[in-house]
Amino acid sequence: MHRRHRRTLQLTALAAGTVLLATACNAAAKKDGTSASAGGSGKSFTLVTPDSVGENEFLKLAVTGIKDAAKQHDGASKVYESTDTASQQQNVQAAVDAKPDVIVLVGFEFADIVAQQAEKNPKQQFLMVDACTTKTYKNVSCAVFREHEGVYLAGAEAGLLSKSGKVGAVDVLDTPQFRRYSDPFAAGAKKVAAKTGTSTRFVGGQSPFDDSARAKEQANTLLSKGYDQIMAAAAAGNYGVFEAAKAKGAFAYGVDVNQCPSAPGTVVDNVIKRTDVAVDKGIEAVLGGKTGTTVSYGLKEGGISLTGLEAGVDSSKCVIAQHKDVLTKVKALRDQIVSGELTVDDPAAK
Amino acid sequence: MFLDSDLLMSVLRALTPILLAALGGALCERAGVFNIGLEGLMLVGCFTAVSTSWFTGSPWLGVLAAALASAAYSLILAVGAVTLRGDAVVLGVAMNLLAAGLTSFLLRTVFGVQGTFDDPSLAGLPVVGGFTPLTYLSWAAVVVAAVLLSRHVWGLRLRGVGESPDAAATLGVNPARHKYAAVLLSGVLCGLAGAQLALGNVTLFSENMTAGRGWIAVVAVMLGRAVPLGVLLAALLFGVAEAVGFRLQGLGLPQQATDAAPYVVTLGALFITTARRRGRTPRASRGPRTPGTPRSTGSTRSTDPSGVAS
Repeated sequence: MHRRHRRTLQLTALAAGTVLLATACNAAAKKDGTSASAGGSGKSFTLVTPDSVGENEFLKLAVTGIKDAAKQHDGASKVYESTDTASQQQNVQAAVDAKPDVIVLVGFEFADIVAQQAEKNPKQQFLMVDACTTKTYKNVSCAVFREHEGVYLAGAEAGLLSKSGKVGAVDVLDTPQFRRYSDPFAAGAKKVAAKTGTSTRFVGGQSPFDDSARAKEQANTLLSKGYDQIMAAAAAGNYGVFEAAKAKGAFAYGVDVNQCPSAPGTVVDNVIKRTDVAVDKGIEAVLGGKTGTTVSYGLKEGGISLTGLEAGVDSSKCVIAQHKDVLTKVKALRDQIVSGELTVDDPAAK
Repeated sequence: MFLDSDLLMSVLRALTPILLAALGGALCERAGVFNIGLEGLMLVGCFTAVSTSWFTGSPWLGVLAAALASAAYSLILAVGAVTLRGDAVVLGVAMNLLAAGLTSFLLRTVFGVQGTFDDPSLAGLPVVGGFTPLTYLSWAAVVVAAVLLSRHVWGLRLRGVGESPDAAATLGVNPARHKYAAVLLSGVLCGLAGAQLALGNVTLFSENMTAGRGWIAVVAVMLGRAVPLGVLLAALLFGVAEAVGFRLQGLGLPQQATDAAPYVVTLGALFITTARRRGRTPRASRGPRTPGTPRSTGSTRSTDPSGVAS
């Protein structure tokens, strides 16, 4: 019995060691992707990303934003790329130690780390993008997005393009925050075609953000009922939704970045977040002394947009590029929202 | 409006990966090795299938590689639990954690992306008559496993090893060899399950894409009492519960309620099966372990839910 127990312990240690080793490898993989652009006497900015930038357009835009800001202020910018939770913490610490004028952090992953660091370093200015700390701090500014405005425009496109008169959405979870990706889609479609039928399915389950097979089945339940335009707001599940739509010859809409290349001919358009605008304008505000505030970016500020409304739509592989007439109508709607003539209901504000 | 052919297809698509993994789990269970590493084994299969299909252009090589890779990965359990007599539950948990970390790490190093690898030119499995060939294979596997365990001498020996390794050894049956075979076979089946999920149900790999299917397979093994037909019925129950849950959302039920469908079904099934078994005399302490049945004697290792003793 004793021997057995010892063996068990040894094995446990071995297993734990292996797991540790695997995670350690992860942490050591890529610490800082430092890319400093030497600056004059001006300001210094540091961007910390939650993942490696690579082909992630959302983060690539953030890098563009910080470089633009550095150029404008004749300053220097640095980018610290994280690969996991451990390196996120190390990178934030490294950024704080270097004492730049503003530290920019993208993503909810940083909420807790920033709260700690902001308390410890009251003189350091932080700018959080696409998230915010739960408590407000004098030295933490936040830039958040009004995604619902973009989703509304995508809904309008769907309403105009739908042949069956039914548009649906596959969302992650049934919470007010995530309903920002489904309710306005229905509202937008009804705005341009009042009789449009709408329905939303939520992925749910044990890991709603990763389960592309489940998202695909949810999309299939909509498609089998004749819905031909589907908003995909299911994180990794989006690819499952695209597959389902492609198989039935229907159309889908992506989020955050241009997802058209992953299913050309199926993805109509995307609701994109212009992180570069949020970073650039956020830094401007912080340097101007407006700190500790949360600013939201929508269509008006250019923080939210559609791939179809941006330059380069013709090379985006998006279906919407072939529907200039639809884009004209959607642009008119956008202008109404920008001018305040039309307001989009925010499900998270209810 | 409820019971249409789409619902049936949906159920059968959801069923295949769970069924393949659960059959592997059942073989292990009958050989006396409690395998809760099904989730990790499947995930290894998913990644291997997608990467092999991507680099060779052949989904079939992907399936083959997935089966081999998961079998190799199952050696952790075989060596750990059989040769070194380690705790199978601890090993299974470690395998699941390692698989999640390892596949995420490899996704980053091999494909240079995070989260999801997806490409329009990634070749998936062909569909024959509405399903992938692996789906038909999974049905055949139920029959083969059933015949093997109840009729074939190798299967009977395997059960003997599971129920009483000492007695089996005195009859000249090598317990270790049979347990190794069962664990490796479960690896192969989980690899096929992973290939089905990543090249059949969808054509992509995303981190943690098994999303609890391996755990559902573990429960299906328990609920089906490790009998192939029982496992099929249990897995089918989960498939139906999930697909019906999706439909209920269409009828206006909130997602939080429809999410509960598989769990309600599990509880109901457990309640019915234990109620039926109650009153019967418990089996001998070394008999095949049936969750929910109190054991007449034996250790009380409360940390081990399966009751897997050495």
